[in-house]
Amino acid sequence: MLVIIFRRLGQSILVLFIVALISFLIFRYVGNPVDNLMGQEATLAQRAALIEALGLNDPFYKQYFNFIWKALQFDFGNSYRGALPVSELIASRLPATIELAVTSAFFALVLGVIIGIYTAINRGGYIANLILSTSLIGVSLPTFLIGVLLIWLFAVELKWLPSFGRGDVVQLGWWSTGFLTISGIKSLVLPSITLGLYQLTLIMRLTRSEMLEVMRQDYVRFAKALGLSSKQVNFNHALPNTLVPVITIAGLQLGSIVAFAIITETVFQWPGVGLLFINAVYFVDIPVMSAYLLLVGVLFVIINLIVDLLYLAIDPRLRDSNTSE
Amino acid sequence: MDDNLLEVRNISVTFKNRYGTLKALDNLSLNVKKGEILGLVGESGAGKSMTGAAILGLIDPPGHMSSGEIWYKGKCINDAHEAIRGREISMIFQDPLMSLNPLRRIGDQLLETILTHMNVTKSEAIKRARKGLEEVGIDPNRLNSYPHTFSGGMRQRVVIALALAPEPSLIIADEPTTALDVSVQAQILDLLKNLCKERGTSIILVTHDMGVIAQTTDRVGVLYAGRLAEIGDTREVLTNPKHPYTKGLVDSTPRIDANSFYKELYQISGTMPKLDAMPNGCAFHPRCEFAIDKCSKETPQVFSDRAACWLLENEAIVE
Repeated sequence: MLVIIFRRLGQSILVLFIVALISFLIFRYVGNPVDNLMGQEATLAQRAALIEALGLNDPFYKQYFNFIWKALQFDFGNSYRGALPVSELIASRLPATIELAVTSAFFALVLGVIIGIYTAINRGGYIANLILSTSLIGVSLPTFLIGVLLIWLFAVELKWLPSFGRGDVVQLGWWSTGFLTISGIKSLVLPSITLGLYQLTLIMRLTRSEMLEVMRQDYVRFAKALGLSSKQVNFNHALPNTLVPVITIAGLQLGSIVAFAIITETVFQWPGVGLLFINAVYFVDIPVMSAYLLLVGVLFVIINLIVDLLYLAIDPRLRDSNTSE
Repeated sequence: MDDNLLEVRNISVTFKNRYGTLKALDNLSLNVKKGEILGLVGESGAGKSMTGAAILGLIDPPGHMSSGEIWYKGKCINDAHEAIRGREISMIFQDPLMSLNPLRRIGDQLLETILTHMNVTKSEAIKRARKGLEEVGIDPNRLNSYPHTFSGGMRQRVVIALALAPEPSLIIADEPTTALDVSVQAQILDLLKNLCKERGTSIILVTHDMGVIAQTTDRVGVLYAGRLAEIGDTREVLTNPKHPYTKGLVDSTPRIDANSFYKELYQISGTMPKLDAMPNGCAFHPRCEFAIDKCSKETPQVFSDRAACWLLENEAIVE
């Protein structure tokens, strides 16, 4: 058990080094940091001093490890715009994105699994078929279009919910939360639905097909033949076996929720890291871009690690097979 | 008739597909007496497993029982399958590797079954679960083990313990040893047979192995293309088969004795008809050496409670 966890940790760290390398390459070689920082009137002597100060004369590997060393202390340099430290910028924007991502992931996962189970158990029923065909819309419509449609319906026509921004936020230390005010929660509704709808339909369809597959297995038939109630059969026997593959996909999707947040945040002018990134792209703000990339990489790795550990918690076969290797 | 535990009366199971309706079971009748072991034998697709599924109401859609009745302990159970599953009639499947939920400890699965059916406390249920494992020859301390830590034969033992836990009166064993090594097969069959004899539990043993039928069963039913071809006492049917198909089956069973070395095995020519291409009359007549005119025109009923063959129409079977 511990062996597997340590092995996974080792793999994760390796992946992070590679992500950091890409992030570093962007930081170092896309555009010239000296030009970006100095402007055109700088003298050659000033330039040389800055190059020395930034360590740009050092060999490649030294710069790379320097970059990592600084990244470990959350030092990504200063933004070219406004000259604020990148870490501060990201820290101020991160709560918004995380709250949005967590809300939509929760919405997608809970509803997706529940509806998926429902449509599997009531296979061929009218409601199940209706849900199934409606879900095609969720899979096929692009995120920004759903966002715009929702804004048009609920913000412009019905005027129920705000069309942009985060509403009022409450500061808890460095974390700013929208969960504690009514306008904050109202603001969260449309972006979360926009961001989570695709994942919802995906998880729903996956849960359904996995559950149907599991329900054909002999152990489910045997559980039925033993006279267990359909509740016991569905929830004690079929569901846990369904969840193993669902967790993998859901985990990966959580990562892409953070990545796709860029589009949703743009549509709703949501003040998160995605919007920060888009603005950074407009102004070729390289340090922000490379820090964002690293952040997304770290998130993906952490989520995958958690998914792997969940696997082990659910499936006893994996626990045993991996240690005996 | 009173000692009949189960009576299957003229059941048909049909499937609809886009080409029409297929009959997986056609007007099948048989009964099981208290404490006896009834074998069901036939080729793949003959309807052996379907019969078991029909009795428990476990036919997978789109199939369904379109006609006939199933009577158990003097009551029709057509609409009461849920009530009899497990507690009265329980089932064992072919592949022990797939019969147990891989994510749950065998103890949890045993306890779940016992607590569902028996009105006992948890500690009493644990006691019964341990006893159940002991009876099938598994260390009761392995209650907390997961299924993947057992071999195929041991898992089938666990499955037997599970099926017997609610103390049913009838067990349908659907090819319980087909997936096991030959050396383990006999052990498992003996175990099942002895445990059921002790308890007076009847068994319907579905198999395609004539050897298993000969060694284990009291009576045997031979199925062909969803219909009953022949039924009777096992010794009588195997030594003096009345239906040409049964005769073919017996003759094509491999033997190990001095006379049979280097002898070619008998083969029934042709294959069983597909359900969507059933011949008129007796389903076996295209392969039958003894077929007469009538065989291709009318479907024979079961004569003298023994065999569905026109050759027997005018011949009374002397018991």
